[in-house]
Amino acid sequence: MSDRSDRGDGQPLDRLNPMRLGLRHQLGLVGLVGLGTLPLVIDATFALTLALAYFWGVYAMSWDVVSGYTGQISFGHGVFFGVGGYTSALLNLGYGIDPVFSIPVGALLAAVAGLIIGVPALRLRGPYLSLVTLVAPLILVQVFIFRSDIFNGEQGLSSVDPLFGLSTFGNETAFYYVALGLFVGVLALLLLITRSDAGSVFTAIREDEDAVAAAGLNPAKFKIMAFVLSAAIGGLAGAVIVHTPSGNASPTTLMSVTVNVEVIIAAILGGMGTIVGAGVGGILLILLREQLSKVAWTVPIIDTPVSDIDFLVFALITLVLLYALPGGIVRWVIELGGQSVAKLRGRDDVAADGGQTPLEQVYDSYAEWFSGGDDDER
Amino acid sequence: MAGISQFVIQSTIRSGLYALVAIGFTLIFGVGGVLNLAHGASIVLGAYGVYLATTVLGLTTGVGFVVGLLLPAAFSGLLYLGIIKRFDHEPIMVMILTLVTSIAVELLVLNTAGSQPVAIPQFVPGNVTLGGTNVQYNLLAVFVLSWLIIVGLFLFVNYTKTGKAILAVSMSDKGASLVGIDSDRINLITWIIAGVLAGIAGIALGSQLGATFSMGRTPLILSFSIVVLGGIGSIRGSVVGAYIIGFIEVGFVQFISNDLTGIAPLLVLVGVLLVKPEGLFGRELAE
Amino acid sequence: MTDKVTDSVETGGDDHSVSRRQAIAAAGTAGAVGLAGCSGDGSEGSSSDVADPLSERDEVRIGVLAPVPSENPIGASIANGAQLAVDQINEEGGVGGAELSLVVKDTKEEPQTGSTRYGELIRNEEVDLTTGVFTSEVLLAILDDIAGSETPHMTAGAASPEASAKVSESYDKYKYHFRTGPINAHHLGVNLVDFVEAKADALGWESVAVLIEDYKWTEPVSAALDEQLSETNVEIAMTNRYPSGTEDFNPIYNEVEESGADAAFISMAHTGTAAVIQWAKQQRPFEFGGIHVPMQLPSYYDAVKGACAYGVTQNSATPTAEVTEKTTAFADAYSEAFDSYPVYTGYIAYDAVNQFAEVISDSDDVAADAVVDGLEGSSYRGTTGTIEYYGPDSEFAHDVKYGQDTVWPVYQQWQPDDPENPQAGGTQEVIFPEDLSTAEYQTPPWI
Repeated sequence: MSDRSDRGDGQPLDRLNPMRLGLRHQLGLVGLVGLGTLPLVIDATFALTLALAYFWGVYAMSWDVVSGYTGQISFGHGVFFGVGGYTSALLNLGYGIDPVFSIPVGALLAAVAGLIIGVPALRLRGPYLSLVTLVAPLILVQVFIFRSDIFNGEQGLSSVDPLFGLSTFGNETAFYYVALGLFVGVLALLLLITRSDAGSVFTAIREDEDAVAAAGLNPAKFKIMAFVLSAAIGGLAGAVIVHTPSGNASPTTLMSVTVNVEVIIAAILGGMGTIVGAGVGGILLILLREQLSKVAWTVPIIDTPVSDIDFLVFALITLVLLYALPGGIVRWVIELGGQSVAKLRGRDDVAADGGQTPLEQVYDSYAEWFSGGDDDER
Repeated sequence: MAGISQFVIQSTIRSGLYALVAIGFTLIFGVGGVLNLAHGASIVLGAYGVYLATTVLGLTTGVGFVVGLLLPAAFSGLLYLGIIKRFDHEPIMVMILTLVTSIAVELLVLNTAGSQPVAIPQFVPGNVTLGGTNVQYNLLAVFVLSWLIIVGLFLFVNYTKTGKAILAVSMSDKGASLVGIDSDRINLITWIIAGVLAGIAGIALGSQLGATFSMGRTPLILSFSIVVLGGIGSIRGSVVGAYIIGFIEVGFVQFISNDLTGIAPLLVLVGVLLVKPEGLFGRELAE
Repeated sequence: MTDKVTDSVETGGDDHSVSRRQAIAAAGTAGAVGLAGCSGDGSEGSSSDVADPLSERDEVRIGVLAPVPSENPIGASIANGAQLAVDQINEEGGVGGAELSLVVKDTKEEPQTGSTRYGELIRNEEVDLTTGVFTSEVLLAILDDIAGSETPHMTAGAASPEASAKVSESYDKYKYHFRTGPINAHHLGVNLVDFVEAKADALGWESVAVLIEDYKWTEPVSAALDEQLSETNVEIAMTNRYPSGTEDFNPIYNEVEESGADAAFISMAHTGTAAVIQWAKQQRPFEFGGIHVPMQLPSYYDAVKGACAYGVTQNSATPTAEVTEKTTAFADAYSEAFDSYPVYTGYIAYDAVNQFAEVISDSDDVAADAVVDGLEGSSYRGTTGTIEYYGPDSEFAHDVKYGQDTVWPVYQQWQPDDPENPQAGGTQEVIFPEDLSTAEYQTPPWI
């Protein structure tokens, strides 16, 4: 982020002091307050749609910690949602443990899964790591089907206790706040971490791992930290969601190909390597998808209503957006806003990182790997 | 012993199919340094191209096979021109865009041809008993075809002008352009060839298992595994990788336990990566 | 969960819930008290314990959950079967003067989407009944929603006995769930045994090789076969519960051949197409029958170009079999309205809507508890048989009753119209039970 160097010297908590935040962060806070009061004006169905959207915001943010910050692209983040969700559901069903206690265990076990995948991943670079993350959820789903006596196979686990004993109907607003609370909490936590010294190291790893090592820091340690943190938060979201109407403990909901890909799409569309962008991307993704499923307009020539082919239309819109705005929507909006603010104030905005987006930096590090590591290529 | 001969024949045939499935993926990886996650989509288009021509349009099987090769070739070429060229040297964006493209193709097939599996014609119908096991001519044809393609590709790359240009681009596109090779054109040719190869794989798989909109997913993972196992971008390595995975899979099912069918190769792959992160044969370029 | 809310209602006793409980007491509905006010003030009008006389309604709303009805024949059959029932009832003047109206939502075959769409049916559409679903994964995901909304639900398509086990264990909570069809997965297995017992001699099946795909849905089938198949006069040459990822059936078919079995006795859904194509293309020297879900679809024969010729599968109904006097009439009306024959889910959804209409018409009450009571006591002659439900004390509570006098599936064989050219087209001929059979069983010509 371009403002990293401006305010890097305060106490961590001080950085969340609204008065010291930049204009766009203050606007963001106003937006959050707006979200908090939204249930007053929306109906129950929309409240649940938004709750699902917040969960997806958390999914995308959890992906962003490891992939957006350290540049380790994960194609199978669903594995962590799955470990978190199934752990909590199994503890609840098998031992009657209240969700309030089983959810943290789910997050913990997901963190362990992050460690298991993260440590070997240190030895792997570029496509090798992507491959391992790509097959991890497939293996897990197969194990779930193979041991269906425990995991109930392709049908998933049902009748998990809802959080706080809330029943589905009549408590939509409560579930809205649960999801919003999780979203805001994770957002604040991740902003704190990524805007701290550790966050600077994460970013530095993405930019140039060798330079980090040269500075006497161990990139491996930080990469594992990022992996475990990301897995824990993904697992937390997965664990919470199975105890709400927004999700259930089944392979399709937590670990399908669609889930794995859409998390990446959300984070990149919103803006990779910014946390806020990923969070917003997750929310927008769900809202867009829900909206499309309600469009009755008939596409000419093929004579099919959009609502019947909503997934296809969604994929095509995604392609166009990725193609047109590879830096992400949030960054694009900020740039637009920054330009107009700069115009108003009559000064130019200078980017502190040489104007490269995180995505470009990840490209560079992958490109470096692909071209055999000769740095002076360009 | 009947068990051993059965094992060898089954594994050899299966491995031939796997090599066929992976070779287009390897080619693109070797030449352009691109992980083409839309490889599975090309496979789907191959199978459904045949379905479209023979079942929907009622054309002959021969014409069907031609459509099954042309459709993925065109798709692959357009993918290169439309997306890959613009995001050249941005491997992550390429991976994500090819992944989303392949999902769009799956959904297109789903929305036009439906979710029900469909059958497509075989290369050669009929069966023969070999070494105590039943073998379909279709699979024998696939086996022979895969070796023809491997040898053909080898000859093409080493003994034709275009092939040598492909080799040059795979080594260094900047170097190649210095000696007057149009690397864009070479890349486009590579993508089209890879599309045709994926089409053949799609027809082979579709005629064996039935075609579905999601039939390209397993082959994509398989290709990925084979390529990583055999060394990135090496055609020779990929063929070896395909045979290793084919033999392990059949052997595992036949001699150990059939509980893990489908994930045995993935487990092998993860194991190899843990022990030897660069694959069995390290990193080579296409030969 | 429910208990806590109930406690607060009982101790808190605000006016609303008190009046509700009084109304229940007045209506004398047993067993409902424990759940009074469970869904609180958020519950929509449909889920009421208070009598809701049909005669005071001008509309009764039915919600349908179907997987991708725009292109999936299973989903389309659910939506269209229910639509046809509604249209026919409305043409006859509706139910007790009220019009039936239908809202169809697409589950995308995903549990989460299913649950979201179910919520929309309840919250926004305020339906009085839901039906459809299809996959067990989706049904299990909405089971708690059904309990929470206290709205009757009649499943069409999902066979998992887990749903009825829940009804049996926590009756008050889950009593709103009924499975109109198909018979549950345990009975699917029992029915396989009954079929073999009655028909093996005629088919010439002295020994069978049991091949079952290892998915959750086949577990009750496996259990029933393990328990009962050995008691028949058919020899079990081998049993293979093969893994879910199986694509290459060569090793399995080799094993079947070596075992000398006359037939592969199967339970397949996900792996069915690969299995039947390889069986047919390799002309394996054994017959092929049991439960093969894709083969139940009328359009399957053309889709696989006759690869399923001579394959046998259990089915709820086929377009030509007179399972009841209503079966073919429905299939023909469906074909006329929608230009294709229905899949088994279509018959079930059609029966569900009709049975519901009969129940509310008899009791003149659309309230959830009255509908539950009505369905429990109902014996409705539908297209798939006489539909009755097991009582609350049964381990299969609220599942459709399996039996020759109630619902008794048919066995169909895909027979080529022209044996010389099997690709040209085929027909689902019923071979069992005898009184419904439309053709003699044909042994594959290569055996």
